[in-house]
Amino acid sequence: MSSPALALPLRLAAAAASPGGETLSRDEEREAIEACRGLEREAFDRLVLRYQRDVYRLCYRFVNNHEDANDLAQEVFLRAWRAIPRFRGESSFSTWLYRIAVNACLNFRALRRPATQELPDGLPDPVPGAEARLASADEARRVRAAIAQLPEKQRATLILKVYHELTHEEVAEILGSAVGTVKANLFHALGNLRRRVAEEGR
Amino acid sequence: MTRHVPDESLPDLAEGGGSEADRAHAGACGPCASRLAEVRAALDLARRADVPEPSPLYWDAMRRSVGRRIGEEPRRRPGWAWLAPLAAAAALVAVVVLTSGRAHAPWATPVPGLPAWSALPDAEDDPSLAVLEGFAAGDDDLAALDEGDGVGPFLASLSDEDYRALAESLRGAGKGGES
Repeated sequence: MSSPALALPLRLAAAAASPGGETLSRDEEREAIEACRGLEREAFDRLVLRYQRDVYRLCYRFVNNHEDANDLAQEVFLRAWRAIPRFRGESSFSTWLYRIAVNACLNFRALRRPATQELPDGLPDPVPGAEARLASADEARRVRAAIAQLPEKQRATLILKVYHELTHEEVAEILGSAVGTVKANLFHALGNLRRRVAEEGR
Repeated sequence: MTRHVPDESLPDLAEGGGSEADRAHAGACGPCASRLAEVRAALDLARRADVPEPSPLYWDAMRRSVGRRIGEEPRRRPGWAWLAPLAAAAALVAVVVLTSGRAHAPWATPVPGLPAWSALPDAEDDPSLAVLEGFAAGDDDLAALDEGDGVGPFLASLSDEDYRALAESLRGAGKGGES
């Protein structure tokens, strides 16, 4: 029977087949973690390959631009490399890594600058359907900007629940909150998101 | 009618979860159904905002960059490395105790020519000094293990007198352990 502490959340496994998120079986992941304790960089590279997409996307949700998301994602993996000898497997590796990522993102935002405004993706093009795509892209941009301006805990909860599809318990563990608080934060985050997007659209 | 659905239960209901009682209530209560619809709309809105996908080349570049930065990190010992100097010190003590204690062990052959009143042999005849010197000067593996701040460099820094004093105290410890 495999250790529940190293079990991968299903949606992460599903995302793993896409570029930047290669698959690792549970046994392979466990072996890689063990090898990392012995400072085998090649083993850590396999973990980076497995989780880089998830971590990058999580960071992007927080900071809303590629440059900062890239810096943060790399910083997350550096912190994970330094801390992995102390990883005891009490939570799943992905939960542990997400906790590092969320802390890095919250510290980053506290230290650096307020949420940045994204630049438009490009000039309108004459291709048929482009207008609808632009409208859709514009809405997506407004939603991302609104998420980036939510209060910290609400933003973190929304990102982990909606985009990474973690359970309430996993989010609570990552954020160090009670499950009831996670549920309440999610409700308030959704309400604030709707309000902010509506205000932006006026 | 049962109580209204609590705020914090609405997202679960909107995603098809939640309790049977809350689901039944939301189906029959206009205000709760309306609140549920708002939460569902907000979830739909959130899901429409996907993260722009970077270039496919990005992932490889990012991984290489992480690897390079890890390579630039100060060299670290594995988790068990702190045991190495300790093990070396324990081995040293064991060797010295066994070597010097042989003369006193009931099964050992007495060292000929050593006067009964002498606590220590002459420096030239003392095998424990050779062991200490071997550790201090010649053992590259030990030096590599403790990376310059463990037993090897410490012994290398001792004067002849200090060597002898250390050997004497180790022998004393050995005798104490035997009694």
